[in-house]
Amino acid sequence: MTQARVDLRVFAQYGRDFEEHADVVVVGSGPGGAVVAKELTDAGARVVLVEEGPPFTPADYTLEGGRSMARTLREGGLRHTTGTVMPTLQAIALGGGSLVNSAICHRAPDFALDGWCEAFALAHTTRADLDPHYDAVGGYLGIAATPEAVQGPRNLLFKRGCEALGYHCEPTLRNVRGCRGSGECFSGCRSRAKQSTDITYVADALRGGACVLSSARVECVEVDGRRARGVAGRIVAPFTGRPSHRFRVHARLVVLAAGCMATPVLLLRSGNLANGSGQVGRNLQFHPGVAVMGVFPEAVHPGFGATQGYQSCQFLREGFKLETLWAPPALLAMRMPGSGRALKRRFEDIPRAAIWDAIGTCHASLGRVLPRRGSLDPRLAWRLDPGDLALLVRAISVLTEIFFAAGARSVLPGLHGIDAEIRSLDQARRLLARTFAPGDLVLGGNHAFCTTRMHGDPARGVVDELGRCHDFDNLYIADSGVFPRCPSVNPMWTLMALARRTAQAIATEL
Amino acid sequence: MRLPNAVYAAAMLGWTAAALFAGWIAARVGLGYPPAPRGSRCLRPAEMACVAAVAEAVFPPGGALACSGLEAGIPRYVDGFVAEAPPRSRARMRLLFFLIEHGTLLFPAPGGLRGLRRFSALPLEQRIAVLEGWACSRLFARRLVFASLRAIVTLGFFAHAPVLRALDLAPHVIESPVLEVDLLYPRIGAHPDEIAWTRADLTAPSAGIPLGRSAQRQ
Repeated sequence: MTQARVDLRVFAQYGRDFEEHADVVVVGSGPGGAVVAKELTDAGARVVLVEEGPPFTPADYTLEGGRSMARTLREGGLRHTTGTVMPTLQAIALGGGSLVNSAICHRAPDFALDGWCEAFALAHTTRADLDPHYDAVGGYLGIAATPEAVQGPRNLLFKRGCEALGYHCEPTLRNVRGCRGSGECFSGCRSRAKQSTDITYVADALRGGACVLSSARVECVEVDGRRARGVAGRIVAPFTGRPSHRFRVHARLVVLAAGCMATPVLLLRSGNLANGSGQVGRNLQFHPGVAVMGVFPEAVHPGFGATQGYQSCQFLREGFKLETLWAPPALLAMRMPGSGRALKRRFEDIPRAAIWDAIGTCHASLGRVLPRRGSLDPRLAWRLDPGDLALLVRAISVLTEIFFAAGARSVLPGLHGIDAEIRSLDQARRLLARTFAPGDLVLGGNHAFCTTRMHGDPARGVVDELGRCHDFDNLYIADSGVFPRCPSVNPMWTLMALARRTAQAIATEL
Repeated sequence: MRLPNAVYAAAMLGWTAAALFAGWIAARVGLGYPPAPRGSRCLRPAEMACVAAVAEAVFPPGGALACSGLEAGIPRYVDGFVAEAPPRSRARMRLLFFLIEHGTLLFPAPGGLRGLRRFSALPLEQRIAVLEGWACSRLFARRLVFASLRAIVTLGFFAHAPVLRALDLAPHVIESPVLEVDLLYPRIGAHPDEIAWTRADLTAPSAGIPLGRSAQRQ
C-alpha cells in the first residue's frame, strides 16, 4: 500500500525513546516549515520535519465550534494577550495554520516591501526579489480568485455595497481547488479543496523521502558555539499534550518554523539563543481585527459561500483591509450583544445577516512574547496604541457605511458604550464620533509577526534576509516571526515566498 | 498576665463573629447544592448548578427559537468542554463560575438582602438582571467575565443540532473525496496500518460544484 513507502510517524507508532540523523531538521509544518521541507527534499537533502500536532483527516474534523477549536488550536483556542486583552489563535496540527485559515493569499503590497527595505536595512526583499517566489508558490498551490459561483449572497452583498460607494473591491485570491462554498475553512475543509500544507507541501516532502515526526514537541535547540547541532523534545499525545517518549534529531542544519509565538520561546528556553540583538520575543505585532454584522431585509443564507470570498484594499494605505467573513455559527454568535430573550431574538436574524471584518495595520501597537514558567506556552504582553484604536473604529465606521449602501436594515457594530443596533447612517456617524477605549472593542488577534525579526543590522534584528540567525552559522528561522513589520495584508503567501527563498539559500549551503 | 474582662469579652465576640462568618462562607460555597448529574466528567456540584443557572438565564425558554439553554444540554456540554481544556484554561473557567456564583455579594441582584443569595439560588428574572449588570458594567473586567462566560454557554447552545436547524445553519452533507493524500494519514490515534483506503478507493477531487441553497443539510 502507498502509505508503507513514506516515513510518517504518528502517535500510535512511538514505543520508546529514539534518535534521528538528518541533513536538515525543520521544526513546524505550517506554511513556512512545510515549504522549506519540500524544497530541500526536492534538492536532495535528508530532511526530518517535526510537528507537535497530529495529521487531521476529514473524519477528524468537527463542525462544532468549541470542539473544533479545542482540537486544532493551541491552549484549546483560549490563548489571549494581556495588557489589551485580545484572543489570538495558533494552530496545532500537521499543516499548522493553513489547515484552519480561510486560505486568503495576498502579495505584500509594494509600499510594505519598500518600507521593510528602507526601515530595516534590507537590500534584497523588493518586489522584484520576491515575485519569482510568489509565482512559484502560487503555481504550485493553484492560487486563484474565488469564483463567483461559490461567493454566495454574504460575499456578493459586500461587493454591492462597495460598488455603490465607489470603493475598489475584488474576489479574494485563495489556495483552493474546487471550492464548493461550504464556509468551513476554519474547521477544516471537508471538500478537500483547500490546499493546506498537510496535503500539498508536506505530502510531497513525504513522497520525496522526508521523514515527518508528528505529535513530537521540540523543547530544546542544541548548539555548540555558533553551530546548531539539532533539536530534542518529547512525544506528546494528541489534544491532551501529555508527554511520553524522548527524541533527539541530530542535523547539520536547523530550521525553526514553529510560529511567531513558539519559536522565540524555544530560543529563550534553549539558553537565550540567537539573541545578541536582544530582539528575540520583542516587537510582537498583530493585524487586530474587528467584525461588524449587518441584518438585511431579505434572506442571506450566510451558511453558503466561500468563508472569506471578497475583500477591499481601498483603505490599505490608510491602515486597514476589509473582508467578508464566516465562521462556525457559535463563534459568530458570541459577538452578538445581550442575553436572555433579546439575544435569542437576535439569533433569529442570523439567516438574514452577513458579517464583514477589518484587519488593521497597527505598527504602533507592540508587544512581547515571554516564556511561561513550567510551560512551553508563551506569555503574551501586548497593548493597543490609541492611534491604532482610532483606526479600528474608523474601519468599523466604513464597514457600517458599506452595509447600509448594500441595503442592510440594521448594523451591529460590536462596540461597548453605544447602541447595540444602528438603524441609519446618520445614527452611525453620531455614535461612532465619540472616543472609545480598547476594552470597548471586541478584538481578534489575527496573524502575528516580528518576534524574531529580519534586519540588515545584526544589532537590531535576529535573522538576516535569508532567514539565518545573525548569531549562528546554521540556524534558520522560517515563520512569520521574521517579518520586520506587519505586511498590512494576509501574510501566508508572503511567508511561503520568504520560506522558499530561505530553502534555496540553504540548498546552496548544503 | 490576665486580660481585663471587657477586652476578653470583645476578643471572644470578635472570634465568634469571625468563626460564624467563616462558617457562613464555607456553607455558601460548598453546601446545599444538588449532586452533579451522573456521568459528569469534571464540574463540581456547585459549578454545575452555576452553569445550569447561567444557561437558563442566557437562553431562557420561549420565543420563536423555543429551545432553552437547559433543553440544549448546555451544562453537560460545558462539563465536557472544561474537562478537555488545558489545565490553565480549566482553572480560569472554574474561577469564572465562582465569580458569577458568588459575585452577588459584591454586585447583588435587585431585591434587598435576598439579592445577596448565590447566583444559582436566585429566581430566573433576578439572574437575568444580575447578568445584565455584568454585561453592561463600566468595569471592563466585569464585562470580560460576562463575555467569557456567555461565550462558553453559547458554544453549548449552538452545539445542539435543533438550534442550528431552526436557524437554517445546519451543516451541509458533504462526502469528502478520497485523494492520494488520504493514503498517507491515518485517523488521529490510529496506526498507519489502519488506514482504510486503498488506491481502488480513490475518487476524483472536488469539481467545485457549488453547494447552493438547496443542498442537503445534516
